[in-house]
Amino acid sequence: MFENLAWLILFLPLLSVAAITLFTRSKPRASAQISIFAVIAAFVLSLIVFVFFRGSETNSLPQASVPWLWVGDFKADIGLRLDALSLGMMLIVTGVGSLIHIYSWGYMKDDPGFARYFASLSLFTFSMLGIVMADNFLMMFIFWELVGISSYLLIGFWYEKASAADACKKAFLTNRIGDFGFLLGILMVWAVLGSLNFQDLEIRLVPHMKDYAPVATAAGLLIFCGAMGKSAQFPLHVWLPDAMEGPTPVSALIHAATMVAAGVYMLCRVFFLLNVPGSHALEVIAWIGGFTALLAALIAVQQNDIKRILAYSTLSQLGYMVMSVGMSGPTAAMYHLTTHAFFKALLFLGAGSVIYAMHHEQNIWRMGALKKKAPATYWTFMVGTLALSGVWPLSGFYSKDSILAQALETNHIALFVLGVFVALLTTFYMFRLVFVVFFGGARSEAADHAHESPDVMTWPLRILAVMSIIGGVMGIEGLYTKQFAPNAEGHAAGFGQQLLAPFSHSPLAAYLGLFAVIMGLGAAYALYSRSLFDPLPEKLGWLSRAMRNRFYFDELYERVIIPFTQEALAKFANAIDRWIISGFMVRGASGTTDLVGRALRLLQTGSLQTYAFLLVAGVALVLYLVLLR
Amino acid sequence: MSILTNIILCPLVAALLLCLVPRNYRLIMRIVGMVATFISMVMAIVMFWRYDSAPMGPSGSFKFEEMHKWVDALGISYHVGVDGLNVGLILMGAIVAFAAACACWEIKEREKEFYILLLVMTGGILAAFASLDIFCFYFAHELALVPTFIMIGVWGRGENKNYATFQITLYLSIGALVSLIGLIALYVQSGVQSFDIVTLTEQLKQHPLSARDQNFIFPLLLFGFGILVSLWPFHTWAPLGYGSAPTATAMLHAGVLKKFGLYGLIRIALPLLPQATHAWLNVIAWLALGNIFYCGLVAMRQKNFNWLIGYSSVAHMGFVFLGIASLNLIGITGAVLVMIAHGFLAALSFGLSGYLYNTTGTLEMDKLGGLLRRMPFVGTALIMAMFAGCGLPGFANFAGEITIFFGAWKSFPLVTGIAVWGALVIGAVYMLRAIRNMLHGPLPEKWQAVAESTWPLRKLPYLILLVSLLVFGFFPQLLTDKIKPSAQKIVTMATGASETVAQNDEPPVVKAKHK
Repeated sequence: MFENLAWLILFLPLLSVAAITLFTRSKPRASAQISIFAVIAAFVLSLIVFVFFRGSETNSLPQASVPWLWVGDFKADIGLRLDALSLGMMLIVTGVGSLIHIYSWGYMKDDPGFARYFASLSLFTFSMLGIVMADNFLMMFIFWELVGISSYLLIGFWYEKASAADACKKAFLTNRIGDFGFLLGILMVWAVLGSLNFQDLEIRLVPHMKDYAPVATAAGLLIFCGAMGKSAQFPLHVWLPDAMEGPTPVSALIHAATMVAAGVYMLCRVFFLLNVPGSHALEVIAWIGGFTALLAALIAVQQNDIKRILAYSTLSQLGYMVMSVGMSGPTAAMYHLTTHAFFKALLFLGAGSVIYAMHHEQNIWRMGALKKKAPATYWTFMVGTLALSGVWPLSGFYSKDSILAQALETNHIALFVLGVFVALLTTFYMFRLVFVVFFGGARSEAADHAHESPDVMTWPLRILAVMSIIGGVMGIEGLYTKQFAPNAEGHAAGFGQQLLAPFSHSPLAAYLGLFAVIMGLGAAYALYSRSLFDPLPEKLGWLSRAMRNRFYFDELYERVIIPFTQEALAKFANAIDRWIISGFMVRGASGTTDLVGRALRLLQTGSLQTYAFLLVAGVALVLYLVLLR
Repeated sequence: MSILTNIILCPLVAALLLCLVPRNYRLIMRIVGMVATFISMVMAIVMFWRYDSAPMGPSGSFKFEEMHKWVDALGISYHVGVDGLNVGLILMGAIVAFAAACACWEIKEREKEFYILLLVMTGGILAAFASLDIFCFYFAHELALVPTFIMIGVWGRGENKNYATFQITLYLSIGALVSLIGLIALYVQSGVQSFDIVTLTEQLKQHPLSARDQNFIFPLLLFGFGILVSLWPFHTWAPLGYGSAPTATAMLHAGVLKKFGLYGLIRIALPLLPQATHAWLNVIAWLALGNIFYCGLVAMRQKNFNWLIGYSSVAHMGFVFLGIASLNLIGITGAVLVMIAHGFLAALSFGLSGYLYNTTGTLEMDKLGGLLRRMPFVGTALIMAMFAGCGLPGFANFAGEITIFFGAWKSFPLVTGIAVWGALVIGAVYMLRAIRNMLHGPLPEKWQAVAESTWPLRKLPYLILLVSLLVFGFFPQLLTDKIKPSAQKIVTMATGASETVAQNDEPPVVKAKHK
């Protein structure tokens, strides 16, 4: 019975896409209602399944699958896997998704593409649920690609704007580079272990360890490529900031809370393939995650576009999660993923509310004093900022702490120090944003006339704010612990104990984390609490310029790497094709060319009779050749 | 008469009928053209639907079989029948033919001749795929090929028209001729005095040709058929020819007729010349990369949209060659799947580009832009086609390509790796560039007034093709369940392995034992 419910959860959003494109394309309100209904229904159903799962005391509900494409040893199913990992993600995708759908009703109200917007949003929900619920590699890859296309459609929603059209192309192509590795990884695992199903693979891994161990590092890193693309890890991180060209609710849903987390989710899902003795994949993953966290946090310090600051912050937090997976801590990674979904969605929606209030102004230095103009937005944004910075007892504190503790436990001292430093930077850039946008004086006409957003937009903010506050004590960590370490003893059960658990479990991590927050906050207060312009560029000089210009990675890719590799190859191939293959081989030497010219003139009589004659002659020739033998 | 014969005869009879229609009855000609292809399409769908339950014909491996002796002395007969390899191709051919017949609005002069040629071409293509007699197989292909040349020469477009006509004629005639030599050699050396594929197969299974003969015939078939499929480096005729061809011709040729060479390779060369096939597998795999990788790169540099999709269709043929080179059940099944999927896709792309050309008068991509706002239907359909072309799941092409990758991975990991790059990255680069340049971005002043037709009939061909791509993309088993047994037969004969693993379709629990 719960399998049927699960199928319904998956296909409700697809039905909504079909209904909107086929029937209600020209009726914006009806389209939005269908889409909102679908996602809320999916959320309610997910809750029902989840409650049943919690009560069932099993590690996963029975799988349901139908064959999709079976040829020989290649067996691809469409199958659902329901365990703590996937159910947790389903709740995030549909829950946060519901709030963002509702918010969009207000935010996108006057857009001519209202129906198209909601159809794409539903398509995204469908694809994301597919990734989350997939019980095998190929189905995950299929939905992986579909998520890519929905992201493409939504980033390029305002496709007439050249920047949006470029951004969606860039996002899709960068993701495709990651997918290239992902697919090769899948092929490699399939060739060695002979299955695509996660559960099957886990079972087969033990007897086939001898075959798998030699390729484990390569396969692990190739699979990680997929995560690198989707979760925007260095060096494929460049697409995410540009993706902010899409409507802000899209940035909140796809490019902060859910889709970009898919990479981390996937790594946790196939963690058993990465965590193989003798494989160095995890080590590389940890360092790439750590590096991305640091790099993005540094860039975020000197951005001036409110959405770009948040985008780099997302990159940085994703780096944390990837780092955590790399340090053999999928539980901590999923924990942070969950709380991050709450507060980052909250921050993006808050930013959307600010942008809405400012009549589509995104430069923070043209804002100011919005605290009084938009109080609900201010308070909720503040909660999000505190949670993201990791202030006790908000949710971000707990999840970040569990990552730092994981680093200490596994003796990754360098990554631990890096993590603490990034926590400092996080607090610094977030409070820079808060001080400039909500405090001080109004820096422009628009900021003076700003207004609070309608209820349909502020209520989702309030709900997300509550979730960001209590996310740390809801037992999320226990849920994922059940998945990854079913034998570990239960965490502190009492509410008070839970509240203080980090301080007794790993005091160094907890106190250093809090220390970093205080340092960051103090620095931000000193520099930005009353400033009219950014004092950092003067103080830091070239470093600030490099940060503002994203350490020139985009330029490096666009002007050096792409032109000198693939584009150069393409030019070369094109030249060969034009001058050698069609030039030399086809037109032949000059004599033949001449002959061709003459023959051409003879042939091109334009008279149909001639052609008809040739037709008959051709047929006769064939007959002759055959009969001759 | 078997339903198969009716499918073939319908367009040919209509062509004869059209000869009697006076020149100025334009509407009648359109109607006859559309109705004839429509009937043929409906019958093909019925045949496809009934395929599973239909009884085997007298030969034991084909359904809807029909056979009449023709030239007994030479062993030529009219012998048609379908198995898993061609039932999908005939369905695809019939659907594309109807779509092409619907998409001939641009033809404004000498319509009578155009429609006659179109119908002859359609009949020829379908007959070629249905034939189980090598003579008829070849003859039917010629019957379809020659109208192609004439149509490009007379109704083609652009300044390059004459040169294109000449090159495509020269190239394809040479290809056909080379393969003919191979086929005749096969006929002579087999020693059974029969063109019948079933007889030949039986004979060569018992008494295979000598290695010398096989090594002589196989390259003739490979390169002869290869030229017809635009195998690298014999591909330059394709973008040039399609760039100048009238819409319907490009749809039919790129979509359906081009698959003839591939079909010939799989149906004739692989099972009848197993020893030589083995020797050539490596070469085929690397040549396939010439198509996928090299031609994909060239497509990136194209400025004209028609050339871009021309090169992309050349690139897609590489996947089929890669599937053939893998020579296992997975690879061959995937190859047939891609042939069918690409037929729909190529027809859709060329159909839409023709629509665009007739609306704007140019396909130079830097002159276009922002057209999605003015042409929502055509633009959306084109975006879907482009994404199908870069292997997005949900379209049939993805199912085919992924199957081929899985089939080829174990024998050619390096080649497959590069092919995956070609499919996922290079394909996406040029497809997205095309969308960005033509449909996205600001709308230039010049195209402010452009509009698409609101008449549903104009949308019909594209809708049919899109629906086909989606149906087989969502439910590829509709095709693969039919293809698999026939592909298995081909593989068994080509690898000579008598004890090949039987269809292992048991549930996953059981399969855990044998690996």
